[in-house]
Amino acid sequence: MQLSDRFTVSEDVVAREVGGEMVLLDLSSGQYFGLDTIGGRIWELLSERPHKLTELCDCIDTEFDAPRERIEADLMALAKQLQDQELIVADAA
Amino acid sequence: MDWKPEISRPQNSLPTQPYDRWVSPDGYCQAEFHKHDLGFLIRFPNQADFLIEKPRESKRFGITGWPAPECDEKTVINLFHNAIQPILGNYNGGLFLHGSAVMIEGEGTADEAGAIAFLGLSRDGKTTLAGSFARAGQPFLTEDVIDLRLSEGQYWLQPKRSKLRLFADSARYLFGEETPIKDADLKQDVEAGGALPFASHAVPLRQIFVLGTDHRASLSIRQYSMQEALSALMPHSFILDVEDKPRLQAHFARLADLSQDIACYVLDFTRDYAELPGVRGAILDNCRGA
Repeated sequence: MQLSDRFTVSEDVVAREVGGEMVLLDLSSGQYFGLDTIGGRIWELLSERPHKLTELCDCIDTEFDAPRERIEADLMALAKQLQDQELIVADAA
Repeated sequence: MDWKPEISRPQNSLPTQPYDRWVSPDGYCQAEFHKHDLGFLIRFPNQADFLIEKPRESKRFGITGWPAPECDEKTVINLFHNAIQPILGNYNGGLFLHGSAVMIEGEGTADEAGAIAFLGLSRDGKTTLAGSFARAGQPFLTEDVIDLRLSEGQYWLQPKRSKLRLFADSARYLFGEETPIKDADLKQDVEAGGALPFASHAVPLRQIFVLGTDHRASLSIRQYSMQEALSALMPHSFILDVEDKPRLQAHFARLADLSQDIACYVLDFTRDYAELPGVRGAILDNCRGA
């Protein structure tokens, strides 16, 4: 996985912010997942349209106070988890 | 709603594979959902087939139900009220959940009366618990379908049919050993009355209790986080088309709002009739302390 990779949300997932946390339901497995504030913001952005990871880093860099290196590392780790769970998928466009 | 089933017909094999099933915890298929040229066909094995015709010129769904040969009309009408109507209610943007509910009076005026709902899987004890409250003086509102309508910032829980459907052992516990039982293997209809009060008007929902599935667990009540509540409520929904993502997303959003507005608890207790007074007391204490 690289920062230039582009992702979108899976069509099998419904999501809703509840009490400051984004709750995801994977319809194909019936499993639920929770994302914290930054993870929820990333989900919102990916739900609007496909994004490259570097674009997501730019948004988070603007909206949250954290070093760029940490944002990139954390985002790569989160994207890998979401992709492993098939909650996001690579976008070929 | 006045609705009557057709004459019975055999449940011949269907030309389509089900796109969804309701399966009980012990693996029994309770319902199969099939796409149909006219809409949907829902099969309750050995009980009934329902054809749900999508609205065309009229705004209402067409609902036709055929009992299976070995099934009586009453069972089919129960399925219509307790499954088909809430399924279509949610499809049309309503908020229906599988559960029972009772009304509790406030400490002061009757205006403070509220409803508490019990959600659970089949045979988890929802109806018996509601019946136990009713026998103790807290009228029941529904035994199987929670119908919530949001108005003026409150979720108003609607009264449903004024009867409980109880298995023989629960009926005997609630109404005495002399209670006449027509068929020990089937649920008995018990109409509301002086000994079984029914609340015939809507009241605001105060708390939701999801019944734990361990029937030997000790009595405990634990509040869910809002996020836990959402995932706990979703399995008790009535969903017609799991492939209709916009409707699913909308229903998920309605449940998310509910989970943020209404306190939701997991209720564990030993499924022993002797435990029920203590369970009722713990629930009432929980409501008073909220």
